Amino acid sequence: MNVHVSPPLAFPDRRPLLRAEGLKRGFKGRGGLLGRSHEVLALRGVDFALARGEAVGVVGESGCGKSTLARVLLHLTPATAGRVTFDGKDLGALPKRELRALRRRMQLVFQDPFASLDPRRPIGDQIADGILIHRLATREGAKEKVAALLAQVGLDPAHAGRLPHEFSGGQRQRIAIARALSTDPDVLVADEPVSALDVSVQAQVVNLLKDLRSRLGLGLIFISHDLHVVRHLCDRVVVMYLGRVVEEAPAAELFATPHHPYTQALLAATPSMHAVDDRREPLKGEMPSPANPPSGCAFRTRCPRALPACAEELPELLHAGPGRRLACPPVLAEIPEAPHA
Amino acid sequence: MLAFTLRRTAIALVLVWLVATLVFMVIHLIPGDPAELLLSQGGVAPDPAAVAELRERLGLDLPLYTQYLNYWAGLFRGDFGVSLQDEHPVASEIALRLPRTLELIGAAAVIALSVGLPFGTMAALKPGGRLDRIASLIAGISLSVPVFVVGTLAILVFAQKLGWVSAGGYVALAQDPVRHFILLLMPASTIAVGLGAVVFRVTRSAVLEVLGRDHVRAAQARGVRPRLIILRHVLRNALSPVLTVVALHLGSLLGGTVLVEYVFNWPGLSGYLVRSVEARDYPEVLGIVLSISVLFVFLNLLVDLAYAALDPRVRHA
Amino acid sequence: MKALFSPRFNQLALPGALLALIVLTVLAAPLLPLADPVKQMVNQRLAAPSPGHLLGQDEYGRDVLSRIIWGGRVSLTVSFLAAFCAGVIGTLLGLVGGYFRGIVELMSVRLAEVILCFPPMLLALLVVTLLGPGAVTLVLVLTILFTPAYARVAYAETLSARTLDYVTAQTALGATSSRVLFRTVLPNIAPPLLVQFSLTVAAAMMLESGLSFLGLGVVPPSPSWGLMIRAARSVMEQAPLLLLWPCLALAGTVLLLNVFCDRLRDVLDPRGAAVGVIPAFLRKSRAAALPQATTEPAPGLVRIDNLTLSLKTPAGPIKVVRNVSFGIAPGETVALVGESGSGKTLTALAVMGLLPPVITPVDGSIRFTRRDGTVSDLLQLPEADMRRLRGNDLSIVFQDPSSSLNPVHRCGKQVAEAILAHGGGSARKARDRVVELFRRVGLPDPARRANAFPHELSGGQKQRVMIAAAVANTPRLLIADEPTTALDVTVQAQILDLLAELKSGAETSGMGLLFVTHNLAVVRQIADRVVVMYAGEIVEEGPVGEVFAHPRHPYTAALLASAPESEAEELAAIPGTVPSPAALPPGCHFAPRCALSTQACATAHPDAVEVGPGRTARCIRPMEVA
Repeated sequence: MNVHVSPPLAFPDRRPLLRAEGLKRGFKGRGGLLGRSHEVLALRGVDFALARGEAVGVVGESGCGKSTLARVLLHLTPATAGRVTFDGKDLGALPKRELRALRRRMQLVFQDPFASLDPRRPIGDQIADGILIHRLATREGAKEKVAALLAQVGLDPAHAGRLPHEFSGGQRQRIAIARALSTDPDVLVADEPVSALDVSVQAQVVNLLKDLRSRLGLGLIFISHDLHVVRHLCDRVVVMYLGRVVEEAPAAELFATPHHPYTQALLAATPSMHAVDDRREPLKGEMPSPANPPSGCAFRTRCPRALPACAEELPELLHAGPGRRLACPPVLAEIPEAPHA
Repeated sequence: MLAFTLRRTAIALVLVWLVATLVFMVIHLIPGDPAELLLSQGGVAPDPAAVAELRERLGLDLPLYTQYLNYWAGLFRGDFGVSLQDEHPVASEIALRLPRTLELIGAAAVIALSVGLPFGTMAALKPGGRLDRIASLIAGISLSVPVFVVGTLAILVFAQKLGWVSAGGYVALAQDPVRHFILLLMPASTIAVGLGAVVFRVTRSAVLEVLGRDHVRAAQARGVRPRLIILRHVLRNALSPVLTVVALHLGSLLGGTVLVEYVFNWPGLSGYLVRSVEARDYPEVLGIVLSISVLFVFLNLLVDLAYAALDPRVRHA
Repeated sequence: MKALFSPRFNQLALPGALLALIVLTVLAAPLLPLADPVKQMVNQRLAAPSPGHLLGQDEYGRDVLSRIIWGGRVSLTVSFLAAFCAGVIGTLLGLVGGYFRGIVELMSVRLAEVILCFPPMLLALLVVTLLGPGAVTLVLVLTILFTPAYARVAYAETLSARTLDYVTAQTALGATSSRVLFRTVLPNIAPPLLVQFSLTVAAAMMLESGLSFLGLGVVPPSPSWGLMIRAARSVMEQAPLLLLWPCLALAGTVLLLNVFCDRLRDVLDPRGAAVGVIPAFLRKSRAAALPQATTEPAPGLVRIDNLTLSLKTPAGPIKVVRNVSFGIAPGETVALVGESGSGKTLTALAVMGLLPPVITPVDGSIRFTRRDGTVSDLLQLPEADMRRLRGNDLSIVFQDPSSSLNPVHRCGKQVAEAILAHGGGSARKARDRVVELFRRVGLPDPARRANAFPHELSGGQKQRVMIAAAVANTPRLLIADEPTTALDVTVQAQILDLLAELKSGAETSGMGLLFVTHNLAVVRQIADRVVVMYAGEIVEEGPVGEVFAHPRHPYTAALLASAPESEAEELAAIPGTVPSPAALPPGCHFAPRCALSTQACATAHPDAVEVGPGRTARCIRPMEVA
C-alpha cells in the first residue's frame, strides 16, 4: 500500500467518529474451477469520514458502490484493502469479541422492509435482540424498552407481539429503525431506506429520521439515489461513480454549485416537479461495468468535458474550497481556492 | 462455447480421478484387514492361509503407494484385474456387457421423454383440467412404486397371466432383431415408468413457471401467434429445468438398472454386479463400480454441455 | 402460525393420519395378537387366507400378515433412522459450509458431494460387498448416501439465507455466529429441510427394499418387504397373491410418504403452489358477460368508460379498479399516476387485454379507434382479433426490460417477431427493418446489437430494444408502464427523451401515449394531461400544468407537498398507509388520511365532479383545496 497523505477533512474542527481510508472491496468475478477468476472492484479506493452527530449523504446510480460502502463501513463485508476506524479503533484489526461489542454503537437500516425482518418472529422479540445481546437490560427491562422504542418511531407498543406480515411497508421500516435504535447507537447507516416505500409514505420515514437525528444526536450515513431526499436530510453529500468518490461538499453548496460534470449531469437528469426543463442534455451511454472500468477517470467515457489527459491518470480527490473536495483536474484548474496541479 | 467445453471437460477429468481414487480407497477405509473382511462369512473367522493367499492375489501385501500406482498402471492398460471366481479378465466382461446396459438406459430415456414431455406440457397448459388431474395422479403413483415391484408385477401380468412376452432374457441384435427389441421393451418400459413420471412432473412445473414470466407476456404484447409463443418462448425456456432435473435423476436411473437387469435377466453390467457382490468378488465389483461411475460423470458432462447449448447465459459464465 | 390453520393444512390431515396409523401399527407389533413371523409350518405352505392367517401363509407356511407388519417395522426403522442420521449430519454440514464459505465449505459440503459422483445403488453394493449384508450395514449405507443430498439442500438454503437482510441485521446487531445460525438461519430454512426429510424416508425405503430384494439387505429369516417380494417371485405362478401383499404394503407406504411430502411442501412453501398464471392467449373466452358494447364513434383515439375490474380471492371477488373513465386524443400524452395498489397498471393491462387471469373486467368499455377508422370495444373483442391489434395498432413497453426479453433468443429476432406476426413480409425484410428500428431508438452499432443476446446489453439498451419492438408497426397508441422505474436517473432521462422524440417523429405522428408511473416529477416532464388514481379510482384529472399548480383533490395536493423537493424544513407527510383493496374505508377512501376531511367525507362516497374545463376531482369540497 502506498503511503496516503490524508486530504483535509470537510470538518477539520471535529474529530471524525467513523473514518475510512483507501477502501477497496473486490468481488470474485465469474469463472469456474479452471476459469480465470478475476476481481471486480465495487470500491476502488474510497476515503470517508463522519463526525459525531453529522449526517452525510452518499449518492450515485446503481453499481457505483454505495451499498457496498455501507456494508464495508460497518465491517459487515470486510474491505479487501484500506481500513475503517470507529472511534479510533481499527475494525479490521479488532478481535471478534470486541468487534461484536462495538457493533452496539453502529447500526444499519436496510432498503427493503419486507426482507429486513425475520418473518417468523414477533417484532418485539426482534427489537429486543440487540438489547439482550449487549446485556443493556434484563428481560423485563427489555420489554419496557421495546415499548418505548415502538412509541418513539410512532407505532403502538401494544403491537410488539405481532409478526412482520401484519404491518405495511412504512410501518415495517419504522420497526427496522426501532431495532437499529435499540442499542443506542452513535451512527446509523441507512441504505436507501425510503426507495422501496410508497410515495405517500416516504415523507413519513424521512421526517422520522430527521426528527430522531435532532433528538438523539445520531450520526447518519444516508445512502440514496434520490438527490432530493439527501438534500433534505443531510449536512454533507458524497457523490460516487463506479467505486470512487468524485465530489464531496456541504449539501446546500453541492446543489447550488455542483463542480463535477457527473454531479451536474445527475442534477440535470433528476426531473423536477416544478418546471419543465427543455434545455437539459442527457448524458450519453451508461455506467461502464465495474468488471472493466475505463482507464484514468472512469467518467470520461460519458463526460462532456473529457480531455485526452483524463484517460491517463486516476484523478485524485483534492481540496476545492472550504469543506469541498473534487476529483476532476480540468474543473479544479478553474476553481480559485483549489491547489493547482 | 469452446472455452466452456474445455473447462467442463477438465472438471469431469478431475472427477474421474477422484472417483477412481475413492474406489481404490474404499477397501482401505473400512477398518480391519480387507482380505479377512472379504473372506469372513457370518462371523466365522476365515482360514489364515486363505487370507494370506487372497492378500497376495490382490496385491494387498504391497505398500499402499505401490498398490495405487499399480492400480493406475492397470487402468491405463485397460486391465481391471481378474475375477476371483473364474480368473476371467474383468475388463473384457465389462466391454461385453456395458453396451447392453447403455442400450437399456437409452431406450428407457427415449420412452420416458416421449411420454413425459408432451403430457407434462399439455397438463401445464390447462392446469386443473381433466388431463392434468389424471396424468398427475398416475405420475404420483408411478413415483411411489419401486422399480423392482413394477418389473415383477409386469412379469406376473404380461408374461405369466397374459403370456404376451417371455419373462425376460436377451437375444443379440444380430441374431434376431425383432425378438431383441421385444425383449428390450419390457425392462426399458419398467425403468421408464419412474423416469417418465419425473419428466412429466418437472415439465409441468417448468412450463407453468415459464408461462408466468414477463417475457411471455411481452411476446403476447407483440401479437405473436399462440403456437409460436408456446414453442419459442415457453417450451424452449422450460427445457433447461427439465434437463437439470433429469440429470439429477441420472444416478438413480443407473442404479435402477441393477434391479431391472436382475429382474428381467438382462445380461448387462449392472446385473453382473449383483452376482459379483454376492460372491464378494472384489476385483469385479471395483471394475464395474468404476466404469459405471465414470459413465455417470461423462453423462453429467453431456448434460452440462446441453445446458449451455440451450442457454446463452451459461456459455459466458 | 397462520399456515397451520389454513385450508391447505387440512390437506395434510388424511395422509398424515394414515402414516401415523402405519407407524403405530408397526411399533405395536409385539403387542398385537400376531403369529410368530419366523415360525415355519411347512405342511401349510402357500395356504390360502384363513381365519387364523388373514392373508394366508408363505412358502414356508409362515403367517403373511405377521410378516408384513414385522417387515414394515424393519423397513421403517431402517429408513427413519437413516433419514434422521443423514438429516442431522447433512444439515450441520450444509449450515456450516453455507454460512462460513471458503475452506469450511470445501471441507464439508464439497467433500460430501463427492459421494454424489456415484450412482447410489452402486455405492450401496460396494459397501455391502465389504461389510456383508444386514440391518446395521443398511443404516450406515443409507446415511452415507442421503447425507450429501441433505447437505446440498441445507447449503443452498443457508447460502440464500445468509445474504438476507434480516440475517445481516443480526450480525449488525452484534450477534455471535452460532446465535445467527441457530436462532435465525436454522428456523428459516427448516421448511425445506422438513420436506427433504420425508423425501429421504421414502427414498430410503425404496433403496432398502431394493437391496433386500437382491438379497443384499436385510438378512433372512428376518422379515422385510423386499425379501418377501424376492421370495414370492419364485412361487408367483402358484400364489400370485403372495407377491401382491408386500408390493401393496411397500408401494402404499411410499405413496403416502410422497403425498404427505407434496402437501407439506405446499403448506410450508406457498411459492411452489403457484397456479393461475395462465396467460390470456391460452384462454378461450375473454370477458365475462358485459353490458352490450357501444360501437358509436368515441371522441379521440381511445375512450375508457366505467372500467371496473374484479379480483378473484378465496374470500370472494374484490373490485380493484372501479369506474375508471378517461380518454386519450391522437398525439396526446396522458400520464396515469398512482401508488402501488392504485390500479394504474391494471387499467393499462386491461387496454392491452393482458390482465392476469385472476382479474376480470366486470363493467365498462374501452372504445378504440383503429388505423382504418373503425371503432371496437376492446373488452368485447375475441382473443384472435385482440392478438392482431397487439403489437400493431396497440403496443406496450413494460417496466423491467431485463425480464421482458427472452434470455435465450437474440434481441433482433424478438423484435422481428412483432413485424412478422403482423404480416411484415419476408424474414429478410424484417431483419433489415429491425436494424433500421434499432438505429431509430438510438442503439449504437444497430446491426451488432440485433445479433446480441439480451444479457449482453445494458438495462437502458434493453429498454430501447423493447421500445423498438413496440413501435415496429407504428402503433396508434403506445402504453408505457413504468418504463424507467428499473433504470438509473441518467438513463431515465435518455428514455424519456426518446419517447418524446418518437412521438414528434413523422413516422409515428398522431400516436397517443399512455404513460403509467408513480413518479410525479416524470409526469411533469412528459405528459400533457394527468390522471391521478388512488385505491382503484380516479381522484383527479386535468392538464398537467394546471393540476401541478392548483391541485383540486387533497390527495394530489398532499402528494405534491410531501415530495422532498420542497424547501420546507419538515416534509408535509401524509399520515397512515394506503388502504388494502379488501378493506377500503367507507365514504371517501382517502378521508382517513386527509387533513381536510369532514364528517361527511367518512359516510358518502364522492363522485367525480367537474372543477374546470377538462378537469375533474373526486372530492365533495374540491374548491377548498388551495
